[in-house]
Amino acid sequence: MIDRPDAALLLEAMAATLTDKVMPELSGRAQHQARIVANLCRVVARDLADDATDTTAALTALLGTEGSLDDLAATLDHHLAAGELLDEALPLLLADAARRAEVAKPGYTDDTS
Amino acid sequence: MTRAEQIATDLGELVGAEVRITGMASVGAQRATFFIDILDGTTSTPAVAQVSASVLGSVPASAEADMLRLADRAGVPVPDVIAVSDDLPSVGAPALVVSRVEGRTVPRHILRGLTDEAAGESLARQCGEAFARLHTIGEAQAPASLPRLSHTAYVDDLEAKLDVLDNVRPAVRAGLAWLRANPVPEAPITLVHADFRNGNMIVDDNGLAAVLDWELAQVTDPMQDLAWMCLRSWRFGNDAKPVGGFGSVTALRSGYEAAGGSWRDDAVHWWSVARCAWWAIGLAGQAAAFTSGLTDAIMLAASGRRVPELEYDLLRLIADAPTD
Repeated sequence: MIDRPDAALLLEAMAATLTDKVMPELSGRAQHQARIVANLCRVVARDLADDATDTTAALTALLGTEGSLDDLAATLDHHLAAGELLDEALPLLLADAARRAEVAKPGYTDDTS
Repeated sequence: MTRAEQIATDLGELVGAEVRITGMASVGAQRATFFIDILDGTTSTPAVAQVSASVLGSVPASAEADMLRLADRAGVPVPDVIAVSDDLPSVGAPALVVSRVEGRTVPRHILRGLTDEAAGESLARQCGEAFARLHTIGEAQAPASLPRLSHTAYVDDLEAKLDVLDNVRPAVRAGLAWLRANPVPEAPITLVHADFRNGNMIVDDNGLAAVLDWELAQVTDPMQDLAWMCLRSWRFGNDAKPVGGFGSVTALRSGYEAAGGSWRDDAVHWWSVARCAWWAIGLAGQAAAFTSGLTDAIMLAASGRRVPELEYDLLRLIADAPTD
């Protein structure tokens, strides 16, 4: 069973309430904190819809080993610290960072002039 | 007596006159900044007092005061030092009292206050001139308490900070690997502000009025300063203007060279990667303070979700690196 509203809709409603109803009543530090929380609600909503399958697949192919995303990332980290696999890893790292940057801030990868 | 009253009393003893706190400019992670009035007989002098919340990672207040005086003599616009203490009794931490310079400090206000494109270019050029004057202060003149850092030492320091983070960051690790694999020639090290960017300066209708917040200063490759000023994080969404969201690199460089600075493109690019890595690690460190329970500040929790932006910028800088 899935209850309604679902998590994504609730988070959007929480962000909208903070932005439209709460923030106008506040000022200074409290208003700033409400803005941060509203933004984080939207980050979490996008995070719930995020999918790291491509990164896991690319890491599995590069490293020739199976494992969780955390384990694969740790293995790559060891190789990079030893000065290995830098050129090979750059494309997948860039694609992964771009995806995560879009979760944090939509549109971030549109323009990098 | 409240804590603010106690601080006002201590500041009064420090400057030798009555001090009234009139407002707070900001409460940073490292220190609090108070607007104060110094009351001496019938005169009231507006000033600013920076009181450190912690001495972690910052230079001693006396060294910061020394730098402000050095920078002033070199022709960099800075506030005047009024008084300094390395140990204010009420907080048990350093305090620095400086003159109040009027103008805009909030980055978006600075951007809105620039009337046209020429005003932004002029500001970028003034920043370049200020950097060149700052960089005339060589290693021998710079305060002895500041770290001296070669490129290699800088990367070693970043790696040590990355190793103690509570999560694995291969993108940053790749940045450090790239920095080691792509060294650029070093030049004589100078005093480097290391945090002069949109957000740490005062701008008035004539342009750059003062350079603030010298607590990260170090003695290293001067190209670090120019790279940091151009980082995407300090453009506040105005990506078409690489210098602080207000100017072109050409304007920054022309000001720097006109005032006698030697611009090295390869080193500016190397330091852009290095400072992206530094800021990614810094933001991840703020998040680690939250996840470990050292702080409940939501702003520091949010910092953790800004790390991907720096990682993306870092990897783009590597991908776009000039090939030799």
